[in-house]
Amino acid sequence: MVLALPAGAAVKLTRRRLLAGLGGGIGAAVIGVPLLTGLHGSTSAGSLLPSRRPLPNPFMLPFRVPPVLEPIRRDRTGDHYQIVQRAATAEMLPGVRTGIWAYEGRFPGPTIRSPRGRRTIVSHRNDLPVPTVVHLHGGHTPAVDDGFPTDLIPPGGRRTYTYPLRQPAATLWYHDHRMDFTGPAVWRGLAGFHLITDPDEDRLGLPAADRDLPIMITDRSFDTDGSLLYPSLDPMLHHMAGVREPYGSGVLGDVVLVNGSAWPVAPVPAVRHRLRLLNASNARRYRLALDPPPPGGGGLVQIGADNGLLGAPITHDAIEIAPAERFDVIVDFGRYRPGTQVRLINTFGDRTTTPVMRFDITHTAPDDSRIPDALAPAAPPTPPPTVTRDLRLRHDTVNGMPGWTINGIPFDPRRPALTAQLGTTEIWRISSDFHHPVHLHLASFRVLGRGLGGPGPYDSGPKDTIDLRPAEQATIRVTFTDHPGRYVFHCHNLEHEDMGMMAAFDVTGAPFNGRD
Amino acid sequence: MRGYGDPVSWTPWPLRITSTAAALLLFDQAVFAGQFLAGTFPVLHTHRVNATYAGITVLATAVAAVPVRWPGRGPIWPLAAGLALFGLVAAQIALGFARVLAVHIPLGVTIILGALLLTGWSWRYRPGRP
Repeated sequence: MVLALPAGAAVKLTRRRLLAGLGGGIGAAVIGVPLLTGLHGSTSAGSLLPSRRPLPNPFMLPFRVPPVLEPIRRDRTGDHYQIVQRAATAEMLPGVRTGIWAYEGRFPGPTIRSPRGRRTIVSHRNDLPVPTVVHLHGGHTPAVDDGFPTDLIPPGGRRTYTYPLRQPAATLWYHDHRMDFTGPAVWRGLAGFHLITDPDEDRLGLPAADRDLPIMITDRSFDTDGSLLYPSLDPMLHHMAGVREPYGSGVLGDVVLVNGSAWPVAPVPAVRHRLRLLNASNARRYRLALDPPPPGGGGLVQIGADNGLLGAPITHDAIEIAPAERFDVIVDFGRYRPGTQVRLINTFGDRTTTPVMRFDITHTAPDDSRIPDALAPAAPPTPPPTVTRDLRLRHDTVNGMPGWTINGIPFDPRRPALTAQLGTTEIWRISSDFHHPVHLHLASFRVLGRGLGGPGPYDSGPKDTIDLRPAEQATIRVTFTDHPGRYVFHCHNLEHEDMGMMAAFDVTGAPFNGRD
Repeated sequence: MRGYGDPVSWTPWPLRITSTAAALLLFDQAVFAGQFLAGTFPVLHTHRVNATYAGITVLATAVAAVPVRWPGRGPIWPLAAGLALFGLVAAQIALGFARVLAVHIPLGVTIILGALLLTGWSWRYRPGRP
């Protein structure tokens, strides 16, 4: 019995318990505090670059659709376009003029619409103070016009890019791709949509015209004077590539822009709309959802991926989208009552990066659109795979500085990491240390699996970018069918790309389709 | 009654404190590793910094094992174990920088296990009892 013990023993027991309790508490804190504070992991590789000015409330600016560029000439050889790359200003925040670098002085650049197989010739003039490179992301383009990172348009120079576009209808985009400086150039505004249309797709009865909305999502940060903030080591973007620490793993902005406007509002009738979602951010990943969700859920019906339509629609409550990925989705605003305000939100976001944009349901209207059960015909059979490659993407030391490598080697435009044969199918096993959205030029691929399982919920359809998560292994199948020459594949976290995470590859053999 | 030259009761305390601290810091290395594998890039830096602190604490553990033997007349193997653990930690740091992960991860598990065993022994040990 405790009461029968001598007083000294009781005190000793108490002190011992007290010490044990204290010790246990300290021990639990030393392990528990870091364990619990970091439990959630991270949804993007990168560090937040805070704006140096107070941010406005969201939903003050109107949603804008980038204008469609008219060709200067249509003739037997194709549709001819002209684009000037120049400095300009834009209203990204309400009432604030922000200096940008942009195609035709607009961010996003003007949208080019090309019918499938219609040769499209785009002449670019560079009125910017630095060299530029234009890459059509997702295009099956001959090597000379693909925008290899060292094929520069010097300041004051011109270059004409010819795109055969013999590929399925899809949401492509064009952006700067200069070696070592893609991150700051895209951050300043060098990005635009290039849509491939197809009469066969038009016949499906999907929402079209002003119910077909391109949605380019980017995150940016702003300085006190309203200019864009970016932590370049060389702010003139001439010599020293890369960003200062702690942004070497990616630059994350605290303002979400949709088609260049911060958290805009789109009035829409209560009918089906096609949203062509593009994540053109340097490093940020988003998990997009509708708030409130429509009654019964399943608000986002995916019909297309990076490189074209799916075989059949897939219903999602949310979509995880990594830099450079595209998701074509149908949202039926007819499931909401007129007057409802529906936010597109990013559930990976924090206070300012959770809202993305808002749809205000205005009125009911006739809707003759539909979502067919069968979208794209089955892909033609590909040859069985004959080559398997392992590609490891990881943090590394590059020229004595922290950087990023593929198979231990930083980008060298003169040394191809691999050579592929036209007309063959390859299996690529890609592994990561952090978040790496891996983009392959020239060819579309299919995701075969992740880890020990099959493809993830966001891996369906023809892809050109795969969202690799930390410490993950994924398997893709790619067939090289179109063009020989030297191309690149790289991480589309643009800070990683600029700091080494890119590799050249050669494609050899006769072109599959004879002529261009 | 305790006579002159008998084992002294304070002698295990430095080892208890240092080995406990070492075990906690070493376990934190697994916590930080888990977090950068979950994509939190800055924790890679924390993992590197904490490796230094854990290494110093393991060296302190070896030093703290000296009084267990002199003047404590206890076993000498805790001193050897502390030094061995320190050697393993040094190798572990080198393997981490060299990214020899196939060895780094099992060795890390081994080091944490060793530190826990030594800590457990230090708290159970009573000077003067064989």
